[in-house]
Order: sequence, then structure tokens, then C-alpha cells
Amino acid sequence: MSTTSIEISSVHKRYGRKVAVRNLSLSVPRGELFAFLGPNGAGKTTTIKMICGLLRPQEGTITVCGESIVKNGIRAKARIAYVPDQPFLYEKLTGREFLLFVAKMYSVRPAERDRLLDELIQRLDMSDFLDFMAEGYSHGMKQKVVLAAALIHDPEVLVVDEPMVGLDPRTVRVVKDLFVERSRRGKAVFMSTHTLGIAEAVSDRIGIINHGELIALGDLQELRSRASSQSSLEDIFIQLAHPEMVSNMIVNGR
Amino acid sequence: MIDESTQLETQSMRQGSAASLSLLIGAKCRALCNDVQQSLTEAPFRVLVTVGCMGLVWLGLYGLFRMIFEYLEQSPLEAAVAIPLVFNYFFAAMLVMLTVSNAIIAYSSLFSGTESDFLLSAPVSLSTYVSLKYLETLFFSSWALVLLGLPLMLAMADIYEEPVAYYPFFSAFFLLFVPIPGALGLLLAWFAARFMNHTMRRRLVVTIIVVFVVSVVWVLRSVQSGEDGSTRWLHEFLYKISFVRSALLPSTWVAKGVDASIHYRSGEALAYLIVVASNAMFLSMLAVAVVSWRFTSVFDKAVSAGGAGARKASGPLGGFGGAVFFYLPRGMRMIAVKDWRMFIRDPGQWTQLAVLLGLMILYLANLPRFASAVPLEGWGMIIPFLNLGALSFILATFTSRFIFPLVSLEGRQMWLIGLLPITAAQLLMAKFAFAMTVSVVVSLFTTMLAVLVLKMPGAWAVLQVCVTMSVCVGLCGLAVGVGARLPVFGSHSAARIANSFGGTVNLVASVAMILLMLVGMGILGFHNKYTGFHGPVDSTTLAIAGTVSLIGVGSGIFALFLGARHLSHRDM
Repeated sequence: MSTTSIEISSVHKRYGRKVAVRNLSLSVPRGELFAFLGPNGAGKTTTIKMICGLLRPQEGTITVCGESIVKNGIRAKARIAYVPDQPFLYEKLTGREFLLFVAKMYSVRPAERDRLLDELIQRLDMSDFLDFMAEGYSHGMKQKVVLAAALIHDPEVLVVDEPMVGLDPRTVRVVKDLFVERSRRGKAVFMSTHTLGIAEAVSDRIGIINHGELIALGDLQELRSRASSQSSLEDIFIQLAHPEMVSNMIVNGR
Repeated sequence: MIDESTQLETQSMRQGSAASLSLLIGAKCRALCNDVQQSLTEAPFRVLVTVGCMGLVWLGLYGLFRMIFEYLEQSPLEAAVAIPLVFNYFFAAMLVMLTVSNAIIAYSSLFSGTESDFLLSAPVSLSTYVSLKYLETLFFSSWALVLLGLPLMLAMADIYEEPVAYYPFFSAFFLLFVPIPGALGLLLAWFAARFMNHTMRRRLVVTIIVVFVVSVVWVLRSVQSGEDGSTRWLHEFLYKISFVRSALLPSTWVAKGVDASIHYRSGEALAYLIVVASNAMFLSMLAVAVVSWRFTSVFDKAVSAGGAGARKASGPLGGFGGAVFFYLPRGMRMIAVKDWRMFIRDPGQWTQLAVLLGLMILYLANLPRFASAVPLEGWGMIIPFLNLGALSFILATFTSRFIFPLVSLEGRQMWLIGLLPITAAQLLMAKFAFAMTVSVVVSLFTTMLAVLVLKMPGAWAVLQVCVTMSVCVGLCGLAVGVGARLPVFGSHSAARIANSFGGTVNLVASVAMILLMLVGMGILGFHNKYTGFHGPVDSTTLAIAGTVSLIGVGSGIFALFLGARHLSHRDM
């Protein structure tokens, strides 16, 4: 039984001549809420898609709960749930039909499914729209249903790309609580986000990627020591990912 | 916790590919049922009109096939030779067309879209995913064959009083034939993704177009060579295209099987049916197995090629848009230039128009031969009439497929349009200006070519150009106006928007307008039947041409008015 939920070893990924991810090594143990930060185009989504088996690393290996995502794709995917930045739902299915479909796809037992479904409907406040077709949903409603679909089979690893976009403050709070609860229950959460406040508030460890390379890794204290600063994650992020911006601010006397 | 997960996973594995596939198909069927139910509840009139239009097309095809078979029935000996040939060439053409359309649909279905990400990140085996996409492709690409096949079958049965066994045989041949081009298309899509980069794929599309055009030229030249109408020429021509009847082609098996069922040779028909069925099954299994094998790396290659960073924009044609629309006010010009750039950068749009235009040029280039083959006495206006008809239908295809969806495609950015300092009417005028620019370039070029080829006198040339321009105004106005009046703002797919209720209304309105204008031009031709375009343009001719032009211009303006009024009252 592996104690590591996600193990990324020396992973390299190119798109033609452009290097998207360069020699990335990262380990996310069970029960950790990991925040993956980086500027636009830094390689976050590529890394996430490789973890979920949608893209293949040209070099290196990725394992999920000890299973190689390349060699034992189905076994690894059975343990993952992926929430993309653009939520996908079948437009002509209702939210409830979609959730039942996903539960069946992951062979969730009916009793367990019904219990989880009721809990998720209540916590994510979906009862008002869940029986309408998804084509009429707002981005936030879709995001809620997709999150519920990811959680309905209680995965070992939850991989989320920008989970809070489009959600109202109440739901953001609920989602944060859900993520923390999961990590306390020994499940891993791998979250890519630009909302640094949330990353600062809930994550156990933070990784910062820039130009495809992991430039910082550790908990908030470790990042602070690395940046020689006691300031917020936003300042640390800018200092590490955009040092030129810091020089400009010094020159401008800010 | 891991134990629970392992238990779930074991169950999932046990479930097997077949169960997963049936679950996915079930979800798709549920979505389809919901869609139908929603349409029947919320817009029964739309359903009625769509079904009515399809019924009309179906009846039209049935009538056409009936006429052909009635004509053939007059000489039974010729019919005995011709009917198997008709089936042979029909299925051979279908084999090629369905293979290409399946390849296009399979490529976009397998390698793009958020559904691919959703399914491929779930514990669904790759063969299940590929099988699902294969079945979807078959469903979407092959309904046209059924639409064509049923009236063909019924018309033939009606005329020749076919045996009862003919019906199940014919239906079975049609259904079992479909997977053969479907599997070939799936393999072709996989091949393009596996072995070709973006540039090579574009070259492949151009090569297919060139091969298509060269084939058409070759067939046209074959038709025209030798003594027209002689038995020797017919034999030579049939010999040249006899490869289509090769015993190795699935189309030949189907044609021979149908022919056997017509002539009460059920045993032979059954044998051919078994050959078709076994090949269909074998090819389907082979295609799914080949495409599933290391599919992730092919998927990776296909999606990575598209996301290889920023592609260099524009080039001279992109900038050319700014110059073409110089006459529009700034806000409108920006929208027209944006549409122009999207048109230039989407090979799907301009290649289709180029193919249609190429065929039109071929037809025009061959006009002198056709003109010399038919006695012009009393038929002097038939060629300009045919030119106008062909050009109008080509333009209608373009406007229905590419211009109609323009307003709907702005749906997601409607707030941006709404914030621009332009009115709804100006927005539509910008779209109309873009549509007119493309249409006028195409139609002026072909009309002037026809004028030169036919050595048409100046006054008649002007008249022809005026009528053609009014067709452009009518078709572009209808496409933009109906597109604004009956938009589909929820969809990103231009093809889906074009197939919507509004798209059907636009198509029907466009065809009705063209037919009305062609009736007018027919009357004009009848009026000048003895002199043709070598005679003077009299006042009656001018009056008829004016009325015809008014129909075109009036339809376009009326549709634009309706569209602008609707859009201006709509929340952005």
C-alpha cells in the first residue's frame, strides 16, 4: 500500500520546440492538500493533464497511489478525480442524471451513492437547479456539479484546476472546507490556482512552477525563509516568479 | 481508505468494457431523449417544420428516383444493364464520400473537445472510448445514406414490383455497408493524427481537394471524348471507369447483392450479405483495435500539435481585410475585418468554397463544348439560366453553412458587442458587408468568366451581372437576417448552428427565393427564346429582370430588417 498519492519523477514535456515542463520531480503524500501555483503558461495545466493521463510525459514517470498512469492507466484513473478549469457536462442531461451516470461509471454502490449525493446536494446548495438540463447552468452551477461528480466516488486523489472560478463566496467556503476535510481523512488534493489567498489559507505545501521548472517547494514558512520575507504568499509569489517586477518596484520607490 | 478504493477499482474492472460502453451509450441516448422531449414540449412548431422539410427532401428524392426508374422501364433491356451499374456507382461514390466524412467527424470527435478530457481521465478503457466515438461517428455521418437509400429502395420497389425478400435484403445491405467506410474513416483519422503534424494535415486536405478536382476533370473529359451518343463511345467510357466495379470493392458486393435480391436469387443475395457483414465486422474490430492501441500517445500528439504555442497570425490576406472594408465606419469595419480574418484562418470555410468554385469554373470552362452539343435555336437563354441556377445554389450552400452562424457565434461575447458604440443594425450591416464581399468576389468572377466564354454582348452582360448581384444581396441578407432573428447563442459549433431550426428556415427561404428568381429568369428566357442573348434587350426583358432583382434585393433587406429589429430588442 503506497503512502504517496502522487509521485512525479524527472518529468519532461515539450510541445514541438517549446518546453512546457522541464525535469519536474514532486511527491504528494496521502492526506496532503497541495497548492500548485505559477504564472499563465508556466506548465500547471500540462502537469495536471499528465497526472490525469491525458498527456504523456516524454521523459520521466508519474504514479498515482503507486500505479503508473502510463502503464496502468485504468487502475490509476479509478483512484483519481479531475476537475478541469472548463467544467464539462452533457448539456442535454440534468445535473442529477450526470451525477448518477458518473457514480455508475465508478461503480459506486447505490446506498453509498445516495448518501453522498444527498450530502453534496445539501453542502453545495444544488437542489434548486439539479433537475434542470445543464445547458441552462451558469459557470458556477456547472462548477458545483462537476465538483460533486468528482467527489461522488470518494477518490484517493482529487486533482483540481482553478476550482473557485465562478463560485459564490458561500460555495468557496464550502469547497475549501471539503478540501481540508478530505486531506484530514487521508486523501490527497492537488490544487492549481491563481487565488493565492485560498492557497495560503488551506494548503499544507505549495509548489511554484515557472517556465516549466519547479522554482519553489515547501510549506508557507519554508517559502518565507526562502524569500527572506515574512510577508504574504502574494509577495512571495511575485518575488519568486516575477523578480523583475520586484526590481521595478524598488526602482519606483514602492 | 485505500482498501475501499481497491474494492471499487476491482468492481470497476469487473464491470468490463462492454458494460462501460453500454453505460456511455445509455447516457448519450438519455441526452438524445431529453433533447427530443424538450423540443416537442418547448417548440413543437419547430419540430414540425424540420420534419416537414426533411419529408419534402425525402419526397423530392423519391420522385426523382421514380422518374429515373420509369424512364428506364421503357426499355427493359437497357434497364437490365443500367440498374446494376447505377447501384454500383452509387455505392462506390458513397464508399468514398462516407470514408472522407467519417474521417473528418472521427478526427474532431476523438481528439478535441472537453468530453475527450472527461472520458479519458475516467477509468474507461481506451477501446471503450474509441468504440463509443466510432459508433457516434457512424450515427452522425451515415443518416444521409439512409435518407438517400430509403426513397431509392421504395421507388424501385414501386416501379418493378420487387419480391418481398427485396426489402429486408436492401435494408440489411444498407445498414451493414455503413460500418465499412466508417472503419476506413476511423483509420484515416488515426493515421492523420499519428503520422502527420499540423502542416502535413493541411497538405493532406489540399491533396484530397486536388485529387477530387483532377478526378472530376478526368471524368468530364472522358464524357466529352469520342463521338457523342455512339455505342463505341459508351463502351469506351464504361471501360475507363470499370475499376469501380472491381470484385474487391465493398460497393460491388452490395450492388451485386441488391441485384440478386431483385432477381429472386435469395441464396446469392444472402452470400453477398454475409460477405458484407463479415467484412464490416472485421474492419470495425480491426479499426477499433488499431486506434485503441497506444491511443494516449496519438491523442497526446494530436492535442500537443495544436497547442504548440502561439501560431503566427495574419499574413498579407489577414491585413487585406482592412483595405477591403475601407468604406465602413470604424466600429463596423472592425467587426467585418474580424470575420474576414476568421474566414481566412479557417481552412474548413474557404476550402469548401474553393471546391465549389473550382467545380463551377470547370463547368464554365467546358461551356463551349456543351453549347455546341445542343441546338441553340429556341434554347438561347438556357445556358445563362443554368449558370445563374448553379451559382445561386453554390452561394446558398456557402451562406447557409458559414454566414448564417455568424451572429450566433457572437453569443458568448455578446456583452462585448453590446458595449461597442454600434447599433444592432450596424452590427448586422458589418456581417452583411463581409458576406457580400466574399459572395461578390466569387459570383463576379464566375459571371464574368461566363460572359467571356459565351461572348455575351455588353447589355446582356450587365443584366446578368445585376441579377447575380441581387442573388448575392438576397442570400447574404437572408443568412444574416434570419441568423439574427433565430439565433442559437448556446453553441460553439457552426455546423450545429447551421443545422438548427433557424438554419433550416434560412435554407428553405434561400431555396424558395432562388426558385422564384429562376422562374422569373425562365420566363425571361422564354420571352427571348428565338434570339437568345444575341438579340436586343427590350423593355419586357428589363421589366422581368427588374422584378427578379427586386425579389432578391427585397428578400435580403426584409430579412435584415427583421433580424435588426429582433436583435435591438434583445438583452445583450
